Amino acid sequence: MGICESYPIYQLGNPQLRIFRPTFNMTLVRPGKEQPPDTVQFRISMEMTKCDVRNYLEKIYSVPVGAVRTRIQYCSNKKRNHLNQRVKRPDYKVAYVQLSKQQTFQFPDIFPEKGKKHEEGSVEEIQEKFMEDERQRQKPDPRRGGVTEWFGL
Amino acid sequence: MAACSRLPLQLFLSTQSSRVISSRKAETATAKHLYPPVLPSRTAKSKSAKRRVLLEFFDQLRGADPQEKIRALTRIQRMKYVIYPQTFALGADKWYQCYTKTAYLSGLPEKFKTSAEVNTDLGPVEQLQSVLGECAYSEIRSTVCNALLQENWYMKKGRTFLYREQEKFVAPFLANLVSGLVNSLVNKNPVLRQSSLDFDPQVNFYWVNGERMIPRGHRSGRIEPRRFQIDDKPHSQIRIPQQLPEFMPLEAEIPAEVPLIHLAPDYLPLFRRQYDNNISTGAKLKDPCQYGHTQFHLVPDKFHIDRLTKKNLADHSEVFQRANAIASLFAWTGAQAMYQGFWSEQDVSRPFTSQAVITDGKRFSFFCYQLNTLALSSLNNPDNPRKNVCWGTPTMCLYERLTDTDVLGWDDAVLKHLVQFLLNRPVS
Repeated sequence: MGICESYPIYQLGNPQLRIFRPTFNMTLVRPGKEQPPDTVQFRISMEMTKCDVRNYLEKIYSVPVGAVRTRIQYCSNKKRNHLNQRVKRPDYKVAYVQLSKQQTFQFPDIFPEKGKKHEEGSVEEIQEKFMEDERQRQKPDPRRGGVTEWFGL
Repeated sequence: MAACSRLPLQLFLSTQSSRVISSRKAETATAKHLYPPVLPSRTAKSKSAKRRVLLEFFDQLRGADPQEKIRALTRIQRMKYVIYPQTFALGADKWYQCYTKTAYLSGLPEKFKTSAEVNTDLGPVEQLQSVLGECAYSEIRSTVCNALLQENWYMKKGRTFLYREQEKFVAPFLANLVSGLVNSLVNKNPVLRQSSLDFDPQVNFYWVNGERMIPRGHRSGRIEPRRFQIDDKPHSQIRIPQQLPEFMPLEAEIPAEVPLIHLAPDYLPLFRRQYDNNISTGAKLKDPCQYGHTQFHLVPDKFHIDRLTKKNLADHSEVFQRANAIASLFAWTGAQAMYQGFWSEQDVSRPFTSQAVITDGKRFSFFCYQLNTLALSSLNNPDNPRKNVCWGTPTMCLYERLTDTDVLGWDDAVLKHLVQFLLNRPVS
């Protein structure tokens, strides 16, 4: 159906023509404090309830949900800007979802450490630092968007 | 109120102050040895001084009456974790095992299994009949059937309020069943003649296990003991004047391990409150029936298997029953031990045993518990090797369907377990 056309009036038994998608988003976050192995932590919209979270996960992602607990995190209104007006950091709601059927979840390590660090003051460390600075000097201006120096003044 | 009094504990216990007692002990020591013993100070602001005060307080408690001991240990109110035996928390049985130092073994103890192993060719009916006799077995079976049909067929009952079906339909059935079975089996088990059958008793227990660091406040950074309280109200219980025999020896090797959980109890979730620290077996201390025999618990409507299956929590019903049995029986056996004068610094010298049956009218599960130690975190006995044991069966259905005047799909194994539990008697 286009934007200008309207849907026919719905009566019980008619086929479902419209699709209702939720306007919510859920963000999976790494827990700040260690949680039990079957608990997953989400940041959700302030208007969502526990039932919404459960239905969202079960119907859209088919995740078996055992229990949902929510809390609202208040963020500060204390910071002031250059006009001395208070600047509010927005509040957010956190949901702790316990999975059923003995499933567990461990938040993955998204930023694994790569390369080994040399010890402080050693020769290798100074060399590494020098090479790093050289590479930085040779890099082209990032504001040119990858275009070479040939096309310029 | 007495609980809020600021009098020191020592004054409450004896007329002599502990300073006098300890100086007298030092005098007797000098009589034997050349130099007085080197002891840490009593009044310094140090850990050793605090430990010395505590140890002297524990020594004073050793000679006191059980009533005085319980009063001294539960007088001061502080924030404590309240453990609910019937809980919605997922995975609660592992956490409760950790806090009560209980190992869980599936199946019943050897005592109840040996009769089955000896007569493997006989079914449960024949075993029951051989133990009880033909007419006693038929009498028991008709008692149970009558109790079932009375609530479901003979009495006309309409629908009741939300979440109150169990108390209208199943609680009277269980009351009739228990009293009928006790009366039928009095001839076979003479201890039931002196027993006391309580309905809606209040079983409470208060204990300390482990330590926590206070995260914030004027006492932040200091170590505090972790206190727990159980307030349980079983449907009914049988108390007897002598103690049931042990299921396994006190120092025996237990094949299962106690699960260790290093997370704070708040993650279960367990909540903290401050109120009276009660310890009670369901009757006062002077009651002659001081030991426990069997408890009967009812599964509330909220935790009925149909409701849990709809919420995608079918495996929580087994967890719920195990958690209920572990918490209730630990509280009951612990209270029985405290009534005899044992506590965490004076550990039990003999194991305390009790049994429990958890039912929702149709499905039954049976649990046995043996309390081997009360010293879960004690100064005198820091690495206590003993642990408590809980045995349990999976859920078994007593019948499949009820029609008018008839019970279909009868399962005799359930009846056999019930009778075995009630025939368990103390060694005379």
